[in-house]
Amino acid sequence: MIGFILRRLGSAVLVLFTTSAIAFLIFFATPGIDPAARIAGRGASAQTLAQVRSSFGLDKPLPVQYLLMMKHLFVTRDLNSFVNRGEMVVPQIVQAAPITLSLVIGSAIIAVASSFALGLISALYKGRVVDPIIMTLAVLGISIPVFWLGEVANLITQGTLHHSAFSWVPPLGYTPLTQDPIQWALHLLFPWLTMAVMYVGIYSRVLRAELVAAFNEDFVQAARAKGITERRVVLRHALRCALIPVISLFGLDLGVLVGGAALLTEVVFGLPGVGFLTYQALENVDLSMIMGTTIYAAFFVVLMNALVDILHAKLDPRIRHA
Amino acid sequence: MLANRAALVALIILVIIVLVSLLAPLYASHVAHTNPFTSNVQGSIVVDGKKVDVMQQSATGLGVTPIGPTWHSRYFLGADGQGRDVMARVLYGGRVSLLIGSVSAAICCFVATALGIIAGYMGGLVDGILSRLFDVVWAFPVYLLAICLSIVLLTSTLTIGPISIGSGSLALPIAIISVIYVPYVARPIRAQVKSLRERMFIQAARSVGSSNWRIIRRDVLPNVLPSVIVYFPIMMALNILIAASLSFLGVGVQPPRAAWGTIINDGLPLLYTRPLVSLAPGVMIALTCVALNLLGDSLRDALDPGSKVRVGS
Amino acid sequence: MRRVAHRTRLYSSSVVLTAAAMALAACSSTGSTAGSSGSTSSGANVSGSAFQAQHKGGTLTMLANGGGGTLDPQINYTNTFWQLYQNTYDGLLKFRRGVSGAASEEVVPDLATAMPKVTNSRKTYTFTLRKGIKFSNGSPVTVDDVLATFQRLFKVSSPTAGSWYAQIVGADACLKTPATCTLKGGVVVNPKTNEVQFNLTSPNPEFKYQLAVPFTVILPKSAPAKDAGDTPIPTTGPYKFVSYDPSSELVMVRNPYFHEWSHAAQPQGYPDKMIYKFTLDAEAEVSAVENGSADWMFDPPPADRLNEIGTKYPKQVHINPQLAFWYVPMNVNIPPFNNVKARQAVNWAIDRAAVVSLYGGTKVGSPVCTILPPNFPGHADSCQYTKGGGTTWKAPDVAKAKKLVEESGTKGQQVTIVSQSDSVNKSIGEYLQSVLTEIGYKASLKTLSENIEFTYIQNTKHKVQISLTQWYEDYPAASDFLNVLLGCSDFHPGSDSSVNIAGFCDKSIDAKMQTAEALMGTNPDAGNKMWGQIDQDIMKLAPVAPLFTPNLVDFVSSRVGNYVYSNVFFMNQDQLWVK
Repeated sequence: MIGFILRRLGSAVLVLFTTSAIAFLIFFATPGIDPAARIAGRGASAQTLAQVRSSFGLDKPLPVQYLLMMKHLFVTRDLNSFVNRGEMVVPQIVQAAPITLSLVIGSAIIAVASSFALGLISALYKGRVVDPIIMTLAVLGISIPVFWLGEVANLITQGTLHHSAFSWVPPLGYTPLTQDPIQWALHLLFPWLTMAVMYVGIYSRVLRAELVAAFNEDFVQAARAKGITERRVVLRHALRCALIPVISLFGLDLGVLVGGAALLTEVVFGLPGVGFLTYQALENVDLSMIMGTTIYAAFFVVLMNALVDILHAKLDPRIRHA
Repeated sequence: MLANRAALVALIILVIIVLVSLLAPLYASHVAHTNPFTSNVQGSIVVDGKKVDVMQQSATGLGVTPIGPTWHSRYFLGADGQGRDVMARVLYGGRVSLLIGSVSAAICCFVATALGIIAGYMGGLVDGILSRLFDVVWAFPVYLLAICLSIVLLTSTLTIGPISIGSGSLALPIAIISVIYVPYVARPIRAQVKSLRERMFIQAARSVGSSNWRIIRRDVLPNVLPSVIVYFPIMMALNILIAASLSFLGVGVQPPRAAWGTIINDGLPLLYTRPLVSLAPGVMIALTCVALNLLGDSLRDALDPGSKVRVGS
Repeated sequence: MRRVAHRTRLYSSSVVLTAAAMALAACSSTGSTAGSSGSTSSGANVSGSAFQAQHKGGTLTMLANGGGGTLDPQINYTNTFWQLYQNTYDGLLKFRRGVSGAASEEVVPDLATAMPKVTNSRKTYTFTLRKGIKFSNGSPVTVDDVLATFQRLFKVSSPTAGSWYAQIVGADACLKTPATCTLKGGVVVNPKTNEVQFNLTSPNPEFKYQLAVPFTVILPKSAPAKDAGDTPIPTTGPYKFVSYDPSSELVMVRNPYFHEWSHAAQPQGYPDKMIYKFTLDAEAEVSAVENGSADWMFDPPPADRLNEIGTKYPKQVHINPQLAFWYVPMNVNIPPFNNVKARQAVNWAIDRAAVVSLYGGTKVGSPVCTILPPNFPGHADSCQYTKGGGTTWKAPDVAKAKKLVEESGTKGQQVTIVSQSDSVNKSIGEYLQSVLTEIGYKASLKTLSENIEFTYIQNTKHKVQISLTQWYEDYPAASDFLNVLLGCSDFHPGSDSSVNIAGFCDKSIDAKMQTAEALMGTNPDAGNKMWGQIDQDIMKLAPVAPLFTPNLVDFVSSRVGNYVYSNVFFMNQDQLWVK
């Protein structure tokens, strides 16, 4: 087991390194994007440019620059933004993370709870009218572009109806939980719902499929034969084995989302989370910020991947040797 | 059978969408009498016998609003911020969106199948390298990767040997979108091939002295093909969504071309005054993707009932 | 997206900052436009009225979409902060505050007791520092602080250190090794007489303006010799910074050590507290100002809200003309626009009225045909490219444009237009793409974010054929449009800093510009007349297509009074009444 964990962690580090190196190379290999010109500001003279170049180490060979950047990011943690001088990367990400977390966790709770309900109902009533209705809705959930859904939500809650039915919806933006819990929840309500739609679609479909498969398994049939009530069969036996794939899916999604994949939702609803930060950094070609957010994002993806793998290995010893 | 009926409905919807998209030029020239790629900021049309400006200047001199839906042949759904016919643009947008979706899904499925088979069949070092590569692409956040590539390619022309992809080219979004989901398809195929390889019949075939290529063609490919076919419509739906998201972020299809995503984006500054500009293409995307996903489900039930294809990202 | 900071910040980095390479100079208020032409300004303040104590107090809430980076006045080069520094910091000199119109373009003594004595054939400037002024941390402002400020300018690599301040004696050494910058012989201070002397290597007629911008505001010598980032540096003005978080808000309160020493340079402010919030997007900002939860928004109201605010809140809207123009530079060195007929065709074809519509309507901009904006010194009404002739623009002539493209032999060539990616720039870009297609080119559009576009189109390495950009000028001198944008000296192939985007260099016109500049010193009227002629000569060759001159729309809450608009740094925030 320990060997497996070590191996898994080793490959996680490798992936992290490669990801950051790729992000670094993409931007340094790009003609037309001179970081020094961006740092120095508009209309800087050649002397100022040279000065900036050397003070940021931009005149050194690429591998050295990469190491320097990593040092500033992880060791001294004083990496500066390349566009907004004086803004440091690490504190910015630390500040944005709770917003993304608030968004993702709230949305995850809604998504998990409703997909469980829908998946269960669908599986229990397989073949009846509710099943295809729920499943078609689930397909709809995974077919709507999330940013568009968000804009539609804005149109409804922030448009003309904002003066009547939806006057309780605050304007777009974010209020920290510590400042005002009610405003926090109100600001996040529609982002939560919008982002949950797609995941409800995915999880309810997976859960239903797993449940239907589980119903046909021998031990569930045996439990039924022993005269255990239908409800207990569902809850105790089928649901338990259907849960494993859903949980691992959920784990992976959580990693991706916390890492910044909630970007579209954050941009649409004006939530200054990590995704938003990433997006702005990309727009401005702010290399140091991009490095910071890329590594942050890859870290969560890799972490959740590894956790899910280890969890699986623990539950299913065969995987360890695969 | 319910599933069959759903598949049939999905197919009909798809055929209709493809048809109307293909007929877009006819609609533009014969029904709407407009060129959906030409700005018409100063023009005016006649609606119910009254002459109306396409872009209406407010009395205060502050703000200009495009004409709303006329529900007539001209400007059926109104105009966008450039005074162009939204209905005609949505139809034209369908061509680009469907093209990007299908071509990138095809490339993605092809590349993923090839890599998946190579990794699964060869095993060892090759498998190790390819699998790590999948891990890297997978760990690189999808949007980050896509936006990174787009911005880099927007500022500089991409040249691979003799092929040069300019910033306005459709090949750009297609190439980007094809790459990012390769691991998504390649991983399960690799696993499938790996388990196939262990099975008796291949070992038997090898002992007879068949070449690797022959084994892959005769024994491996037919076995993984159903999964690939199931993946195709699902990937197409996914790619249409990704293409739209990229357009929303301003890095997808570049003007003068228009895809559904770019039309949504064009309509956002008008969201509260002329919501139809953004709503109409969004509805088209949702319809198309629902149909594709239903089709994928039915294909899976028919071809590959055991697989657990995951839909969505 | 509407939510992203750059998109709505039309004016943020392109205004004062686009005017990058130039200096804020020549303030003689010859014939410049004055103040508000828009809706009523309750209490429009033209003469710089005395302080009205009954309006003192309250909290002013301001909004902007996204913070503006570092709080360090010697580094921050954004409009948002240059406007704010007016309320907080002081230089030896300052552009007059508390007044609207042309008067706001005058440079007045601020921390200096009087305008400098200029000696040594215009190479030595001598100031006397006022006594009794204290920083917001309680320490007095001394000549040592002045010296430290100018050393720090180089130590922190201030953006224009190498261009605006390179003529100070000793600046060379400072640019080479900033850490050991002394400016020995360049800035000489005498603590006994409280005198500060600047020695230049050659005369610089723009120096006094360069001493009136935020880069040279006087900071305490204890200020760190590196970018101060989010940490406030003590101020001298009526307000000081309390806290700053670039992603949420900036708070300013009264500086307890401030007393009014010059009403013209630094008048007492009205609000007790000023809060600048950075979290809302432009749509939400409009709503917040409408319902009174905020008093003013930095960002121009989004186009789809203009009609609403113009109709419902006409009294809260202030429209002021800007000394600027939006234009289309065409690269005269590569096809197809190395052909003069192709460039003229573009000028004939563009419907300026349509472009103004896309910008937001007839009130927010007016079509132009000349490089020098209307009401600008040297501007003469003339329009070489309008249907029906005359001196003002009336309508495009697409038929003529098509014919010229035909004659030029460039028909059917590929043309890529480069524009910024915010919705306004992009929509004008799309319009241009449509026009170029119509007159016979295979046109496509490439949009880049604001931060990239402006330098991208300047660098000849990118082979940009045609682009959309803006030029906002801050002082009325024709040379800073014509010479900076179209003179040979500002064309640097292969550099990101080459504001002559068209790459236009005509020896005979360049010679005329030298003559006109020299003439300005002796006979300004004749000089300006000559500039007007040069403008027309250049337009004959059509290296650019001028589109329109923009107006700035300020939207304030209903409780706000005493709106004052400075031509240089825009609305005076601390002069607003919220009580």
